[in-house]
Amino acid sequence: MMTVDMRERRPEAQSRSGETAGGAARRQARERRRLSWLTSGPLIVVLLLLLVFPFVFNIWVSLTGWQINQGDWWKAPWIGLDNYQDALTDSRLWGSLLRTSLVTLVCVLVEGGIGLVLALCFAEKFRGRALLMGVTIVPMMILPVVNGFIFFMLFQSDGPVNDILRTDKAWLNDPWSALFVVALSDIYQWTPLMFLIMLAGYNAVPPNLRSAATVLGASRWQEFRYVVLPLMRPVIVIALIIRAIEAFKLFDPVFILTGGGPGTSTETISVYLYKVAFNDFRLGYAAALALVVLILLSIVGMRAVEQVEGRVKSQKEETVDE
Amino acid sequence: MSRPQSRLLQTARVAFLITWTLLIAFPLYWTITMALKPKSEWTGTTWFPSKLEWSNFAEVLIPGYGDDGLSFIETPIKDALGPLKDSLVISVGGTLLAVILGTAAAYAISRYRFGGSLLPFNILSVRMFPPIAAIIPLMVMFSTVQLVDSYVALILVYGGLTAPYAVWLTKSFIDDLPRELEEASMLDGNTRLGALTKVTLPLIAGSVATTALFVFIVIWSDFVIAFTLGGTNVEAVSVRIASLTSATQGQLYGPQAALGLIAALPAIVLGLSIQKYLARGLTFGAVKR
Repeated sequence: MMTVDMRERRPEAQSRSGETAGGAARRQARERRRLSWLTSGPLIVVLLLLLVFPFVFNIWVSLTGWQINQGDWWKAPWIGLDNYQDALTDSRLWGSLLRTSLVTLVCVLVEGGIGLVLALCFAEKFRGRALLMGVTIVPMMILPVVNGFIFFMLFQSDGPVNDILRTDKAWLNDPWSALFVVALSDIYQWTPLMFLIMLAGYNAVPPNLRSAATVLGASRWQEFRYVVLPLMRPVIVIALIIRAIEAFKLFDPVFILTGGGPGTSTETISVYLYKVAFNDFRLGYAAALALVVLILLSIVGMRAVEQVEGRVKSQKEETVDE
Repeated sequence: MSRPQSRLLQTARVAFLITWTLLIAFPLYWTITMALKPKSEWTGTTWFPSKLEWSNFAEVLIPGYGDDGLSFIETPIKDALGPLKDSLVISVGGTLLAVILGTAAAYAISRYRFGGSLLPFNILSVRMFPPIAAIIPLMVMFSTVQLVDSYVALILVYGGLTAPYAVWLTKSFIDDLPRELEEASMLDGNTRLGALTKVTLPLIAGSVATTALFVFIVIWSDFVIAFTLGGTNVEAVSVRIASLTSATQGQLYGPQAALGLIAALPAIVLGLSIQKYLARGLTFGAVKR
């Protein structure tokens, strides 16, 4: 990668005698390719190191019964597909997958909904708008760990939330209310992001289209429903997908708030993977689980990523911005 | 352009904004006051601290504070200057790596459609998988080269995993630049590389800085990678905060809140300064403004 061809340093010799137009084009293409590899190569190498190696390693280890107390991984006993067989009937795996999907779905929809309403509230200028906007987006910049800790304090049985509600509920000791607090902390943290994205989407709606609707006698609701919302659709889709991708990895607040408990009732998929590897030390099994999750995510997620990509492209073509 | 709003709508809007602001402010208020509460008020519902107790901040910021019995905590805790420094080192290092690798790749992807749609697609999908799935192999990898729990390991992992943000964000900025600028410079006798370094790079410098701040916040805020891949030699501030939670000597609410606020401060200041670009960054450049 470090061998830059010296020819590149010379000025473009486009008028070099005896060179056909096709030759010049080919040379240009070659030069472009070289520059591309030169600039992208290092990133590709790092990503291969960080992704492909773990992937291959996981495949190998997942076929063994490697546990940390058995020493080095290459000495672990070969057990074939046993880990995968266990995974298929592992209720904690499927439970955590289902739970993560549920939390993701609820959080993303609530965050999107509130974000949209907030965006509409902030759409027009008013006094104190900048300040209020600053306050509104602060939660997304608090460390997720700290965010988890904050909700841990708030929902103690002798904590302030119970004080306001005049109850003495042990929020974090009951499966459903603990999951509710986890979701709430995610909503607290990430609604601001949804709001920012929605606001960007709203601002990208050409104002003349909205005033045209007004001239034609549309009501405010009609203007929103038939002009603004359809034009915001691509942005809303991107926002929901990207947030869902991130939410599915949910770890920090769960770890801090409940540690996955009580029992296993708030384990997300990341928390479960963590526990199998770092609490039970069943590393072979952890690798198998990681691969199962990877495959499932690839099926669902790749389509999501494609969506985002498609939107990015179509957005650019329409140039609906600034 | 916009018509006067109906009274009802106006009232609903104000009411919603007030409610929302209060909901946002309540956890923040509780955390800020918690950081200033004496130990007797950590648990229970003291809405207004009886006095402002700065020892919580001193505990986490001043080395050896409380060793002489000055502290109101029975067993004084270690100061968090080490974790703050470690977090700074890995965040700055990771950011530099991500931005350098990312900007370079973004150029080729934006200008030459390098890798077609496959490369940017693969780069983006990096963000899709839970990092925890790759942690064990990475630990094995780094331990074979004696780099477990080191700055190098964390910088490499953070740099690599946040590079997709840098690629996509910078790509969106380069896409905005008219290609003609470079072509003109090449007609003036510059090479492609020359046009890149002399024309494009200076023009996107500000955007690259924005990207860097953004990536910095992402790394600074992370917990799971620092927690599993670091630990003793390199302890991120998020890891220290979490360890104050699980301490067996009882919850150290006060110092924990204090350290949480200290850790959040740089992220909040930087975040507000690049407010305009947060949405763009977190959607990989898909949403502009």
